[in-house]
Amino acid sequence: MPLLDAQTLSHLTGVKVRARAIVEGVLSGLHKSPHQGQSVEFAEHKEYAPGDELKHLDWKAYGKFDRYYVKRYEHETNLRATMVVDTSGSMGFGTTGLSKLDVAKVLAATLSHLLLRQQDGAGIALVAAGRHKEVPARATATHLQVLLDELEVATAHGQTDLASVADRLAENLPRRSLVCVFSDFFDERADALKRLVALRARKHDVAIFHLVDPAELTFPYDDPTLFLSLEDDQRVEVNPREIRESYLEEFGRFLEDSRTVCTNADCDYLRVSTDEPLDGVLLRFLGSRGGRP
Amino acid sequence: MTFAHPLMLLGMSAALIPLLVHLFDRRRPRHVPFAALSFVLKSQRRTASRLRLKRLLLYALRTLILLAVPFALARPEFSRASTATVSKGLAATAVVIDTSLAMRWRGGRSLFEEAKEEARSAIRELSPEEPATLVPCTASPAAVTPLVFDRARLVSAVDDVRPGYGVGDLNRCLELAAHVLDESPLPDRRLVVVSAFTLGALRLDAEPPVSVGPKGEKLKPQVVLRDVTRGHPLANRAIIDARAEPAPQLGPRAWQFTFTIRNFSNEAGRDVELKLLVNGEVVAKGFVDLAPQGTAQKTLAHRFSQGGTVLVTGALSPDALTEDDERSLVLAVPRQLTALVVNGAPSIQKHKDEAFFVDAALSAPGSPVRSVVRDAEAARRETLSAYDEVFLLNVEAPPADQVRALSEFVEAGGGLFISLGDRVDPEGWNETGLLPRRLRVVKTAVEPSQPDAATRAARLQQVALSHPIFSPFTGRAREGLLSTRFYRYGLFEGDAPGSASEVLGTMDDGAPVFVTARRGKGRVLVYGSTVNRDWSDLPIRTAFLPLAQRIAAWLSGTLDEREEVHARVGDLVTLDRSATSARAPSGAEVPLTAVPQTALVSGGPLPEPGRYLVVDAKGQTLEPLSFVATLDPAASDLSHHEPEALTGWFGEDVVKAGGESGSDRRTPAWTWLLLTAVVAFFFEGLLLRK
Repeated sequence: MPLLDAQTLSHLTGVKVRARAIVEGVLSGLHKSPHQGQSVEFAEHKEYAPGDELKHLDWKAYGKFDRYYVKRYEHETNLRATMVVDTSGSMGFGTTGLSKLDVAKVLAATLSHLLLRQQDGAGIALVAAGRHKEVPARATATHLQVLLDELEVATAHGQTDLASVADRLAENLPRRSLVCVFSDFFDERADALKRLVALRARKHDVAIFHLVDPAELTFPYDDPTLFLSLEDDQRVEVNPREIRESYLEEFGRFLEDSRTVCTNADCDYLRVSTDEPLDGVLLRFLGSRGGRP
Repeated sequence: MTFAHPLMLLGMSAALIPLLVHLFDRRRPRHVPFAALSFVLKSQRRTASRLRLKRLLLYALRTLILLAVPFALARPEFSRASTATVSKGLAATAVVIDTSLAMRWRGGRSLFEEAKEEARSAIRELSPEEPATLVPCTASPAAVTPLVFDRARLVSAVDDVRPGYGVGDLNRCLELAAHVLDESPLPDRRLVVVSAFTLGALRLDAEPPVSVGPKGEKLKPQVVLRDVTRGHPLANRAIIDARAEPAPQLGPRAWQFTFTIRNFSNEAGRDVELKLLVNGEVVAKGFVDLAPQGTAQKTLAHRFSQGGTVLVTGALSPDALTEDDERSLVLAVPRQLTALVVNGAPSIQKHKDEAFFVDAALSAPGSPVRSVVRDAEAARRETLSAYDEVFLLNVEAPPADQVRALSEFVEAGGGLFISLGDRVDPEGWNETGLLPRRLRVVKTAVEPSQPDAATRAARLQQVALSHPIFSPFTGRAREGLLSTRFYRYGLFEGDAPGSASEVLGTMDDGAPVFVTARRGKGRVLVYGSTVNRDWSDLPIRTAFLPLAQRIAAWLSGTLDEREEVHARVGDLVTLDRSATSARAPSGAEVPLTAVPQTALVSGGPLPEPGRYLVVDAKGQTLEPLSFVATLDPAASDLSHHEPEALTGWFGEDVVKAGGESGSDRRTPAWTWLLLTAVVAFFFEGLLLRK
């Protein structure tokens, strides 16, 4: 099955439809993976000791070795994941048919779908300066619809405020949660990303989806242009040809710094261009995590 | 600083364009919402100072380009001449301006225009207390106007000076100028010489000019040299001679024209084009290679479709001095003549036939005459008006009706040639009245059959070499003609009162043998012997063919239609008295006045080269008398003196800034300006690419 590119997804209406299309693609890709998921997997044998569960005695081993061994499993508890979606004004920017917010919503919905499908809990947090809409993680089958509805109505406006979101998550999240952050990280506070990845220190699993538009990567403007801010009233008139080199240098450095911060904090970091196929993005993400969210 | 094309300076206003664009260019930028605005802002702040400097540089470079290009096109030159005319004391000044042909040399602007500018500049720089005069230097300098203080008058005089076509006599002009300065009571004298200083104009083997001071002492005037050549060599090539010759081998009325071309420069000329123009229309072209300082000849031919007077011009591809690239001549192309040859003694043996030799001579290739031979009986039925001339060869005296017809024919302008022979009856011919002189008897010098006939035969004693018929017979040709043997010839009576016959040739006993007379508009020529070998061996002599053709041409009036006039610009011209004035190519009238005791008129000097039309008293143009005035080849030699040689001749002590007044005095700046513009353009491109 071909991967879905942004152009194709832009023709699909609604997060739900888009998410379902992506999910099918992702599952199709996962079936080909040798790391097919199981919730409980055998890990090793251990010689029996008083107090061990008798039901875990391996009688076949007793027949071979005439000694009692107990099977031990890699036991996983139910995962609780929170999709943090940046809904600031800059996320509304898009030149490929899908804005960064559209892409973030589809990715968050798809991941939620996958998590709920394997009985893990999923919740969302739609954040911007002065706005914080949170749906707590739950593992019920009907919870997906709630998440999708919330994502559907989310719009991009206001300024970015990821730092306060990091603080709020640090306080409220139960231990060992998965936190997926979808943002362009155009936050005036330089330490916003650092505070987000600091959740890793609290035993949370943090995955950063850094969304960028191709126009931000290439700056394809030539004539004198008045650039308008998407988050406030700021405007800048420049001759793009004159500053392109400098802009590309600055933006490249920003992307590299973001990657370095995440890598140093042992967080997953994915740079997502809004024109690349999203099922490919998710497969890349899941592949790096052993096939599981 | 001076400018060759000052109007070009107006183009410098274009330098305001970058400023106006900066001030009034209010194009609305495109509005684009953009997420990564903080990075745009950061980049703008980072590059702001660099961009400001870049814009400033671009503005400066563009302005520089728009200033430099029109400034360069105006051809500016830095001049340091002001020091040249400034002397410590007051000095009476004579500004000598050369009007030689060399001053017409044109390298963009003509040297003469530059010379006038120099003269004006010299006049402007004079102190108000200094009297001055202007001396236009021609080949024949006239009296110099007295010293004046009126600068406007002097500048106006400079404006009125026109360049000439000859070689100015600078030595004489300087002498005259120095003489005029004698009148001044001021202690100092100054000569400002504006010239190309060609070798022909100024002879350094003569004495330099000397003036006389207020106390009668001899003074060497200060000399300011303004060399308009700036020391650069003046390349030139010229046609210095043109000759026309009949080319019978190419057919009737074919002529070949030989032009002598001189290269007066040190560079060879390859494939220089030479055109032959007839009445302004190109009829032939050729190419010629010219060695440095070398001379070459090129011959071009043309066959004229009809006779008449034509202007033939040789024209080289133009160089910086165009006046001497052409040389013209007026050519009278003989018209086709028709002659009725009446054979009075036909014979089946050609060498005994009376008309054989005449017919052969008149019908030779290249001859303008077409002959029709008839015997005496048949000739009576011919309509004479259809012919230009009639040859009666050994014909009995014609009857009265034919005499009347012949008389009317000659009166109306026809030509009549009569040769004698054994059939000629002197008395009968005397009755006709057609002969210029009455014929008496036939004299026999010796019988041709006798063994010593060759030595005893009569010979021509003299012929009228000034006459058009005999003018080519000079040197060996004359000897050949005079050695003709005559065994028998007619004797004529003396000139009758009231008759105006002319003897063109006499025998060694003084008897006339060629006698002519005018009858009305026509001419009659009697030859006192035969045109076959019976009485003379003239028909088998080399002189016979040209003699017969020239007699035919003269009888019809075409031979003496024009006498070639060789005239040079500046010369006096002498013409036939029927002319009253000559009109120069520019339309200027050259009046002609009668030369006492001659039938000639004279006028001049001829002001310009080219074709002059001659007009009679009724205002009618006399086409055959038109002539061409040519240039003196010496005027085309533009080699000039070195500044050091001039300074040495005038005296280093009197030449003020003389060394600087040469090549170094003026520095052309336009090449550097253009280079500056190109470099600015290059850097502008570099900045735009950055």
